[in-house]
Amino acid sequence: MSKIIAENVNVYYGSKQALFDVSIDIAEKEVTALIGPSGCGKSTFLRCLNRMNDVIDICRVEGSIKMDDLELNSRKLDVVRLRENVGMVFQKPNPFPKSIYENVAYGPTIHGIAQSKEEMDQIVETSLKKAALWNEVKDRLDEIGTGLSGGQQQRLCIARAISVSPEVILMDEPCSALDPIATAQIEELIDDLKKEVTIVIVTHSMSQAARVSQKTGFFHLGKLIEFGSTEKIFKNPDKQQTQDYITGRFG
Amino acid sequence: MNLILVTFIILLAFTSYYFGRKKALVIQSSQRLTALPKFYGYYLAAWCAAPALIIFVLWSVFEPSIVKTFILQDYTDQNLTKNELQLIYTKVKALAVGTYTGNITNFLDESANKYIQLKGIANSAKVAIILAILIFSLSFAYRSVQKNDRMREPVEIFLKWVLFVASLGAVLVTIGIIFSLLFEAIRFFQAVKIFDFIFGTHWYPAKTFVRDGQPDPELMKDAFGAVPLFAGTFFIAFIAMCVAIPIGLLSGIYLSEYAGRGVRKYAKPIIEILAGIPTVVYGFFAALTVGPFVKEIGNAMGLEVSSESALAAGAVMGVMIIPFISSLSDDVITAVPQNLRDGSYAMGATKSETVKKVIFPAALPGIVGSILLAVSRAVGETMIVVMASGLAANLTMNPLESTSTITAQIVVILIGDQQFGDPKTQSAFALGISLFIVTLFLNVIALSVVKRYREKYE
Repeated sequence: MSKIIAENVNVYYGSKQALFDVSIDIAEKEVTALIGPSGCGKSTFLRCLNRMNDVIDICRVEGSIKMDDLELNSRKLDVVRLRENVGMVFQKPNPFPKSIYENVAYGPTIHGIAQSKEEMDQIVETSLKKAALWNEVKDRLDEIGTGLSGGQQQRLCIARAISVSPEVILMDEPCSALDPIATAQIEELIDDLKKEVTIVIVTHSMSQAARVSQKTGFFHLGKLIEFGSTEKIFKNPDKQQTQDYITGRFG
Repeated sequence: MNLILVTFIILLAFTSYYFGRKKALVIQSSQRLTALPKFYGYYLAAWCAAPALIIFVLWSVFEPSIVKTFILQDYTDQNLTKNELQLIYTKVKALAVGTYTGNITNFLDESANKYIQLKGIANSAKVAIILAILIFSLSFAYRSVQKNDRMREPVEIFLKWVLFVASLGAVLVTIGIIFSLLFEAIRFFQAVKIFDFIFGTHWYPAKTFVRDGQPDPELMKDAFGAVPLFAGTFFIAFIAMCVAIPIGLLSGIYLSEYAGRGVRKYAKPIIEILAGIPTVVYGFFAALTVGPFVKEIGNAMGLEVSSESALAAGAVMGVMIIPFISSLSDDVITAVPQNLRDGSYAMGATKSETVKKVIFPAALPGIVGSILLAVSRAVGETMIVVMASGLAANLTMNPLESTSTITAQIVVILIGDQQFGDPKTQSAFALGISLFIVTLFLNVIALSVVKRYREKYE
């Protein structure tokens, strides 16, 4: 069952083309990993899925991206509503310089989700529990979010993303700034989350892609070279380029 | 004479630079150099210029007082006071250069001749000594160039000392200013009780003026109360901030978050040009345009408005400060990491929500710092107040009346005739040092706030 269907997506930064005719089907409640060397356009593609490219003035997106029959690449799209449904976790943990509680309550507040203080407390607690952070921070919710360790900060960001119950979560190299233990915790978390949400993760680590994902797409120089089940991509890819990248012969 | 000597030293230094470099190239043909050829040049030039110039400066500093001692030796048996001796010396100097117009006594004439003679000797001695030093230091330096000694270290050490002397000069001048303020202020506080100065509510120094002798201590008590001045200063600064903070801050937010690159490219330099308008221009703008305008509006509403009002001065001062706040807060807001913005946008926050809930709080310490810096500027501003707000120190909280500030009163006290040692004149120093303390305090707080903000990200 497809959650997102992208067809012939082209992205330009000014006159430079960053993505060439990317078409991909992202299945619901699965983890889709996007791999490829730096600058291959995998993050650019990820940012098309919640229209984060709007933030960049010179960026232009062409083609069709449909999520449950809703055209994402349309001027008429309500970006605020889209981003409520499609959360995002960034490469570098970026909690707001506010308290842990306020960090998680940020989304529900701006979208008017909680009706009362009790409801908000409930949302914050559930989100932190889902992000496997609750036990570590439950006694210090008033402390500033930027004071946590790197791994905790990233889990706080995940809690922030799931606080508005999105259907899709985009992760842009979520573990690249973390140590192996924190990385293992995040990967475990991704495994839990996929029961409820669709996850698209960009990663530089091929072993991570192999561990967490069900589908993998390989990008190179702005093109989607190969897309298929993770097992197939890693064990028996169709394309020589994919084979070379996976085995570490380039990239 | 001096000019020729200094020019000669400098020209010689340049020449020796080229000579040293050339010499290095010659050495290079037979042995390995210890540094790049230019260091040989620098080495020779430094040894040429530095000792000669140092002696020259020292000589110029001490020569006049030595000559003076010699001249006045002849007058020691006459039991003269210090002032009288000074007067005689001035006369002798004037006579020697031919600008003296009074009675010429034999004694004076003799001294003048002696002065001319001494000056002549001093000048020739100076030239001789400096030439000797030049020859000595150059030959010393040339010998070590010939020996191909290490050149890099001495040059680096020399440069370090040049920089050290420059910064020492800056620090010493600042300390000197502070101490001269402090000493005069202490003299003032010997005449006027510090309590009367800080808590007195009447500022009217003119009434202590008496032709000869000391003014009445009772009068002094009531003439130097600085409260109206402090009140006026902060009142006008407050009005200025009421204008500058909202406009400056909002335009800073617009420039950093909303304006497209095109707008920002042109708007930011234009706003910064505003900061370069001389304050005297703002001053006559306030006095001739805004003041009468405020008065007219007030009169039309049936209010009594002085034509020199605190409101006009404060409002124009606020306009002057707008670019200061907008530019600084623009910088501070731009410095908020992009990933915080991304985090907020990715949660579905709109631009204004992001500004209000994430960017502004994150930038707040920096913004507060910039506002404090702006306040200390407003407190120290002089010209606008002198021109537009009046010179009478009224203790008032009515923005439509005229009031005065510390800076304006210092101007009033120190223009026109004045007498050193008069409490009225000295009060300017007391005001100056209190203003200095206030702005120093504000700056220290502002800088520490800004610093704490810097530490927050990385």
